[in-house]
Amino acid sequence: MADEALFLLLHSEMVAGMYRAAEQGEGENGRCTTKLESMGFRVGQGLIERFTKDTARFKDELDIMKFICKDFWTTVFKKQIDNLRTNHQGIYVLQDNKFRLLTQMSAGKQYLEHAPKYLAFTCGLIRGGLSNLGIKSIVTAEVSSMPACKFQVMIQKM
Amino acid sequence: MTIHNLYIFERGGRCLFYSEWHRRRGPGIPQEEEFKLMFGMLFSLRSFVAKMSPTDMRDGFVAFHTSKYRLHYLETPSGLRLVLNTDLGVPSAREALQHIYGNLFVELVVKNPLCPPRAPVQSLLFRQRLDAFVRSLPYFGPRNPQN
Repeated sequence: MADEALFLLLHSEMVAGMYRAAEQGEGENGRCTTKLESMGFRVGQGLIERFTKDTARFKDELDIMKFICKDFWTTVFKKQIDNLRTNHQGIYVLQDNKFRLLTQMSAGKQYLEHAPKYLAFTCGLIRGGLSNLGIKSIVTAEVSSMPACKFQVMIQKM
Repeated sequence: MTIHNLYIFERGGRCLFYSEWHRRRGPGIPQEEEFKLMFGMLFSLRSFVAKMSPTDMRDGFVAFHTSKYRLHYLETPSGLRLVLNTDLGVPSAREALQHIYGNLFVELVVKNPLCPPRAPVQSLLFRQRLDAFVRSLPYFGPRNPQN
């Protein structure tokens, strides 16, 4: 993984650049999140290919989710997901109590309205990773108090 | 020993951050004016002490003191200036200033996408962490209230 500071700065500039372009009239704001998400998707696809090159095959869906929470998260964000929950019907909730992209922003409610911008890329990252392992999903994120956040993964049965 | 206040100026002289702890007596001028005069004084002092120096001086000046207080100064390579006023019981606050710059300012302001560069710092997280750090310093404390 590239230097951490580089990733953080590049990520924030990517988000800022996207919204700046939107303000200058190239497409409306809602599109930005979608665009960021699809960039994350493409990156996630590539990353998972790289990270799994020396791993054994996965047993099942839960095994894959565990890999995302541990190895994948550690490589990208330098820590594991703090809590993984599932209803065993295709919904997983990944909770990170100190999400790397939010830790330097705020500890509480300040800037809360800006948080979704900085989560879209990561949602795509998860979705892209899963997709390349053969799981189709929808990923959404939720923040109630920074720097904690929750990612909800809904598996789409094929 | 005690800490009076802290200023952070950017290269151009704008005050990005100000906080005070045991400052019992105000300067009697508007705050904007105070920032301007403080920066102006540092600016002149810095260039003049460099001229007076017998050998080439890298660090510039690091502190000065009067009969009542000591002013600690740190200038980073990027031109950020941190100023900490304490009473005379504090010999050097250089490490504290380095910490404020490296571990707080860089981490929470420079790396915070919601703090535009070279603009006054609005982040509450930075204010909280800085306050906690300053209060944890061994020479923080309202003891010895001579001035």
